[in-house]
Amino acid sequence: MRKYREIAVTYLKAQLVWRADVIFNMIFTIGKIIFARILWGAIFEGKEMVAGFTYHGMMSYYIISSFLSQIEMSGGISREISDRIRNGTFSRYMVIPVKIDRYFLAMEAGVVAFYMVFDLFAAGIWIFLFRIQFVFTGELLMIVGAFMMILLGLVFMVQLNYYLGLLTLKFQEIGTFLMIKDNLAAFVTGSMIPLVLLPAEIVAVMRVFPFYYVTYLPAMLLTGRCREEMAAGLLVLSGWCILMELINRRTYEAYRLKFDGVGI
Amino acid sequence: MRKNKNIIKELVKLRFQNLMMFRLGFFGPFFVDGSLFLIQLMVFEAVYSSVDSIGGWERGEMIIFIGTFSLINGLNMVLYFFGVNGIPDKIKSGEMDLYLTKPVSPLLRLTFENVNPGSIPLVLLSFGIIGYGILEGGITVTFWSMLKYFWWILLMTILWYEMEVIIRSMSFFVVSTTSIVSMESAGIDLCMKIPGVAFRGVYKIIFYCILPYGIMATFPTSALIGEDSLQMMLFGMGIVTIFGILTAVLWNRGIRRYHSPSS
Repeated sequence: MRKYREIAVTYLKAQLVWRADVIFNMIFTIGKIIFARILWGAIFEGKEMVAGFTYHGMMSYYIISSFLSQIEMSGGISREISDRIRNGTFSRYMVIPVKIDRYFLAMEAGVVAFYMVFDLFAAGIWIFLFRIQFVFTGELLMIVGAFMMILLGLVFMVQLNYYLGLLTLKFQEIGTFLMIKDNLAAFVTGSMIPLVLLPAEIVAVMRVFPFYYVTYLPAMLLTGRCREEMAAGLLVLSGWCILMELINRRTYEAYRLKFDGVGI
Repeated sequence: MRKNKNIIKELVKLRFQNLMMFRLGFFGPFFVDGSLFLIQLMVFEAVYSSVDSIGGWERGEMIIFIGTFSLINGLNMVLYFFGVNGIPDKIKSGEMDLYLTKPVSPLLRLTFENVNPGSIPLVLLSFGIIGYGILEGGITVTFWSMLKYFWWILLMTILWYEMEVIIRSMSFFVVSTTSIVSMESAGIDLCMKIPGVAFRGVYKIIFYCILPYGIMATFPTSALIGEDSLQMMLFGMGIVTIFGILTAVLWNRGIRRYHSPSS
């Protein structure tokens, strides 16, 4: 456990080198807020409520979902694994005395811990700058449940991206699939629009899959909604995390021998 | 002119030969951008289930807007994106030397050497989306409105090209253009989701005049649905001309300033 903590701390410290990235990461949280402000500003003209949201409730949802999607930075894991497999340097991870999936989990923890502070700060600035009457639940149980869900969601996304990266051991080019995955993930996690706007049948199907619980449900819980879905959400997401862990182990064991590394 | 035509023909031929070697990746850009615009359609289908109009545009008009953005993006991908996108790397690596020493305009060669026919289905898909929007909105299309629409598509495709060249020409002057390119992506991402008619105040100034992605699909759509005006025509043509001049100035200055890292 200690070695993984060291990995996390090392990556946390490494972020200090890329200061410009930190500033841009903070600035880019504004993209979704401006999108929400313009789009929903136009929609709410002359209306008090749309789909059960007030204007400020909707903006609060976007502030939280934008923050959550900004700290979800695991997309780089699949690209890192894919690039290293293709150029033959994946052996870097194979030879060190750690489990590779946990290495990436620790790496993600370090990076997220660093960016979370700055993105929280950015969220505070946008709330003030855009004069949003921020809606946030006062119920401790919902806050705790939402944070557990956020944590599980981040773990799941790391597992998913690790799995997609490993597929390079089997397929020559996965870049196209990764870009399509990014497009789909933005929609199904609810970072483009609250999923409650979709037809009820589609939402019911989405509840079976993990993406519903990565951004959308935690954001809804933190704005004081969907309390009744919290327990089931935690269960479903935990189930998916366990399943992904098993799939990843099996995939790595099945395909690792296909790797032809540099110097091996 | 004739010489340039022959060069473009040869570049396209060479590109085809190259693409045929990697057939799986041939339709990659189509699948990526196709999924992006189909998701966009689903997003607005969901939004319009709760409201009747956004910035005065109803569902059909919004579908045409999405299809139009997809069409301009598709033309960009087919014609010049993959060529222009490589400019910063060529400047940094010194590969630009090869372009400067050839008896052909470097920008012309860079523009057309990486055409991507794999994105042609994206153009066809866009026409499908536009047709669906016309039917859904019950919009009457006349020969005149179609003519105006395609005139705007041509202008906006040129404007998109100018923006891409301007942003990538910055590599002549700064060490890294990563942040500027990220800004471009953020602007495009925002403007493909929101029609220009919804912009107000400072956003309108930014996305109409400084990063004019806000007008790119809005003006052609307005022309097709009969909401265009002389003022819009003058403004649009003015913007394309101004950015055209800026492109030429920046590119020529950049080329003069270029010092090969390899010599």
